[in-house]
Amino acid sequence: MGQNRGWVMTVRRLALLAVAAVAMMACGGSGSGGPTTGSTIVLGAPLGLTGALTKESTLTQQGYNLWLDWINTRGGILVNGVKHPVQIKYYDDTSNANQSAVLMQKLITEDKANFLLGPYGSAATATDAAIAEQNQIPMVEANGAAQSIFNQGYKYTFGVLSPANKYLQGVIDMAATLNPKPTTIAMLSADDNFSLEVANAINTYAPTKGMNVVLFKKYKNGATNLGAEVQAAKAANPDIVLNSGHLTEAIAINKAAKQQKLNAKIFAYSVGPSTPDFITALGADANFVYDGSQWTPQVKYTPAFYLTVAQYVAAYKAKYAGLGDPDYHVAESTAACLALQRAIENAGSLDPKKVRDALAALDVTVFFGQIKFDSRGINIYKPMVVEQIQSGVHHTVFPADIADAQPMYPTPAWDQR
Amino acid sequence: MVDFVQLVILGLLAGGVYVAVGVGFGLVWGVLNIVNLAHGALVVVGGYLTWQLFTTLHLDPFLTLPVDAVALFVFGYALQRGVINRIIRAPLLFTFLLTFGLNLIVVNLLLLIFGSDFRSVTPSYSGQGFEFGSIVIPYVPLISLGVAIALSASLAFVLNRTRTGLAINAIASDRDAAQLVGIDLRHAYAVTYGLGAACAGVAGGLIALIQAITPTAGEPYTLQAFVVVILGGLGRVSATVVGGLAFGLVEAFGQSIPGSGSVFANAIAFGLMVLVLVTRPQGLMGRLR
Repeated sequence: MGQNRGWVMTVRRLALLAVAAVAMMACGGSGSGGPTTGSTIVLGAPLGLTGALTKESTLTQQGYNLWLDWINTRGGILVNGVKHPVQIKYYDDTSNANQSAVLMQKLITEDKANFLLGPYGSAATATDAAIAEQNQIPMVEANGAAQSIFNQGYKYTFGVLSPANKYLQGVIDMAATLNPKPTTIAMLSADDNFSLEVANAINTYAPTKGMNVVLFKKYKNGATNLGAEVQAAKAANPDIVLNSGHLTEAIAINKAAKQQKLNAKIFAYSVGPSTPDFITALGADANFVYDGSQWTPQVKYTPAFYLTVAQYVAAYKAKYAGLGDPDYHVAESTAACLALQRAIENAGSLDPKKVRDALAALDVTVFFGQIKFDSRGINIYKPMVVEQIQSGVHHTVFPADIADAQPMYPTPAWDQR
Repeated sequence: MVDFVQLVILGLLAGGVYVAVGVGFGLVWGVLNIVNLAHGALVVVGGYLTWQLFTTLHLDPFLTLPVDAVALFVFGYALQRGVINRIIRAPLLFTFLLTFGLNLIVVNLLLLIFGSDFRSVTPSYSGQGFEFGSIVIPYVPLISLGVAIALSASLAFVLNRTRTGLAINAIASDRDAAQLVGIDLRHAYAVTYGLGAACAGVAGGLIALIQAITPTAGEPYTLQAFVVVILGGLGRVSATVVGGLAFGLVEAFGQSIPGSGSVFANAIAFGLMVLVLVTRPQGLMGRLR
């Protein structure tokens, strides 16, 4: 084809008919061999490449690009014997959910995206899901866990990650196995949809495991000064301090806890500790902290295709040297691409409706775990795991069958570390 | 009772940072009549300087503050002399737009240089403090409050006791008259903005010790500086000190409302600002001009 094109360039003045004839010959000539190369599949993804969510959005992009390299070195996605190379078109939504929706529409109408990959965060995913639905283009997302996204009756949005209500339940399950068993919980939560779902789920779940939420306190999303909240937690003297928020708030709470001598047997934060930044920002003070994680580099799943967990970690380190292990944002983002790829293959078509149906019927295990969607489009089948930072390193401590270390329990008081 | 005392202490300590952020913002606003939307970005530049010196040269973060101040003074001076001076007499909207644009440029340059990783300065004594029974006074915020007060005092000294400061005061009172008596306006403007930037740099160094910073971490501080300056009153450094401490206290007590927490802290702070504007437009400590 390349030579044909060069030849066409030199004889630009030839009649249109002649060009068409050459093109037809070229196509006909290669049709009898192995898989042919089809049209490029364009995937669209708005991401917060600047603004408040830059960190997480960059991790998301890394996950997408890892898969993109892999699939394109194989010639693309195989659809009915034709290999379609893949292109991902990114736009910067400046971490603004409304802007994300505008760009999603642009990706569909102007860039003719065949399928959509999700943005970062529940807020942007919610606004983008509405756009996907209106245009009836499937969106596979990996970074919006709020169930409110999936309770709208949408048919075209699929989330590969475990929903928000599962984030801290693993910590409660783990706590129930520990000795002496902790019984009281102080629950601090940011006031965004996702964080409140995580926190409210604990309110109803903890009593079923014999634990009481003795303090429930909301604070403003993105707050960096949480001294008063930590003081309230200290007054409640709980066995477990839970935080449902993001990296910024997790760091703020951990700093305030040390300053104000808030001691508890367990400190667990929904989001934050799994990112390497939590350890670099806090140093030794990050030790003993637990978090609920979608995935860790230590999990043991047997993949049906793509890479094993160990190969995935190696591939990440080869492409993004010096960044350490991939965290779960990267892994779940890659998993979204895998779900879409497998659905396109199963559908044997690039028709959005057929691919949607294939996504709804998908049931496959990859390095990230089982990917299967309930009737709302969220993956309730994959468990969350619990991580603990021990001597500056992440270890998977629960469930026991995939753990690589025992929980270090109870957490020593701040002045005894 | 213990909780009440602890909250007052936490509020005042948190207020130290707001004082540091507010004084530079108030100076630029009061003298140049510029609501400097790039102030938060300058704060973060100071934060990254401290972080860089702490991680590469292992300097004590408090010792890096003079470096922040000097570097940001030079940067601020150049910025005013080269860019902002060109539209200093234009309507307020133009300076809004310009400083907003500068904010975007600085933030995105920081993103290019440092990436979006969270950085925090954690010296060995971080998190430790005095304990009186169950009341805790952590060292880092305490020293930060001291630094903020010292910063304000030095700024007040410069403004009221030095020739340059008197020139700045003269401009603030009457721009044209100041020019008539031979004050070099462009230089004096640039010095004023430079001083404001230097204060922002010191504030940034303190903030890097207290929270984790990213290139976008400065944006809330621009807003808070605005509230602090209005609460205290424009035109006097001591008024900003009062405004900053008041803001810290309001925030601490707003956060401790049972159930709601800091969800309402901002609403309370802004409500108080509106109340002050209605009843005492010159601010708690300000002078009418």
